[in-house]
Amino acid sequence: MEAPPVSVMPVTGGSINMMEYLLQGSVLDQALESLLHRLRGLCDNMEPETFTDHELVYLLKGQQGNPFILRARHSLSHPAAPWHLRYLGQPEVGDKSRHALVRNCLDVSASHSLPDVLNEMGFRMDHEFVANGHVFRRGALKVVVSKLSRVLVPGNTENTERLSLSYLVDLSVLAPAGQDTVSEDMRSFAEQLKPLVHLEKIDPSKQRH
Amino acid sequence: MQQREEKQLEASVDSLISRVAHLKNALNNFIYKLENEFERLAWPSVLDNFALVSGQLNTINKLLRNEKTPSFRNQVIIPLELSPDRDDELAKLTEQRVPVFSHEIVPDHLRTKPDPEVEEMEKQLSAEAARLGPEAAQKQIQTLNKLCSNLLEKLNNPREDRDPESSAIRQSKPSFNPADTLALVGAVAFGKGLSKCRPPGPGAPGQGPMMGGGPTLQQVTIGGASGQPGKMPSSIKTNIKSASGSMHPYNR
Repeated sequence: MEAPPVSVMPVTGGSINMMEYLLQGSVLDQALESLLHRLRGLCDNMEPETFTDHELVYLLKGQQGNPFILRARHSLSHPAAPWHLRYLGQPEVGDKSRHALVRNCLDVSASHSLPDVLNEMGFRMDHEFVANGHVFRRGALKVVVSKLSRVLVPGNTENTERLSLSYLVDLSVLAPAGQDTVSEDMRSFAEQLKPLVHLEKIDPSKQRH
Repeated sequence: MQQREEKQLEASVDSLISRVAHLKNALNNFIYKLENEFERLAWPSVLDNFALVSGQLNTINKLLRNEKTPSFRNQVIIPLELSPDRDDELAKLTEQRVPVFSHEIVPDHLRTKPDPEVEEMEKQLSAEAARLGPEAAQKQIQTLNKLCSNLLEKLNNPREDRDPESSAIRQSKPSFNPADTLALVGAVAFGKGLSKCRPPGPGAPGQGPMMGGGPTLQQVTIGGASGQPGKMPSSIKTNIKSASGSMHPYNR
């Protein structure tokens, strides 16, 4: 009686390749109220959600030169909530007519030992910041209006300093790869926020100083 | 000849009666609306009612000016019999408004000259007009015409220079700053301004070891912007291997 042959194969896949479609803009402090008002009218009717998050960006320097970036985020207003780990790929260089920035996106939850695990794996924290603001949703669209602050003493999130006098506005959708109607919906929503905010596709790789 | 004229007269009087009846109905409805529904009444619907009444008055005027209408001025109405008794037929005809054909209603209903007060005012106005010399009158007419045409022009052509003013006001209060957008996006995407290379002051001492990380990230982002998603997973594998090989003192 021989044991039936068992073939061992690595388990690949099981999760859909999710892409993040992104449009960004900013709004000055004095126009924030009118923007929030407009968003409250345009978006799904729910209590406006505020958040205070601390994000740490970890780098793994490879020999090839391209460091691997992971973003670890946890809530300062809900300290018991799990950490959130996110990987964002390079923006897809598709046709220029696509209205939003598209990049591969992977999100997982993690426990509170995440920073230690990442440090042990060889990642080093590159920078961190605190973001607080409001989140709005409209169907699959998510609008985040956030105020970014620089952490002055690493690890101390009480002592922060505002980065600029504007709020960052992000319009994002998480969708499986290949759905191009998403960017059309995003563009028509962005039109409704003009002239308060100009949401556009900003390629971060073109922004180095 | 006379029969034709009579027939024409009758026909024009009939059409006049029907037009006046329409006008009466419209006025009735309007008054009812004003008295009972004034809380819900909006200015556009009031305007509509006025427009309706004015349109009906116009039709009556056209009817009167029509060539086929004989001149009513040539006709005279003489009451042949007046009685203080109630006349039911008359009451029915006039919808209970004139029950008695008596001495009181005759001056009002069969009047051809304007009311005495109106006559007085007209006499005064015509006396003033006669006093005014012809040249002064001409000048006044011309000024009135000029004022009216100016007003009409202003109402009909919205002036172009009104728009630049309003757009200038809008531009002076921008609600976003593009430079801020770029700064914020840079901060979120790769830590521009957050990287410890530029300490704002108190954080200076603890940042020596991190300086290596900042420039590397930025330089490499330049190189890696060609979009090679496939490269990333392989770099993880290699790094972990090397880390486990060199860093962990224990072997499995």
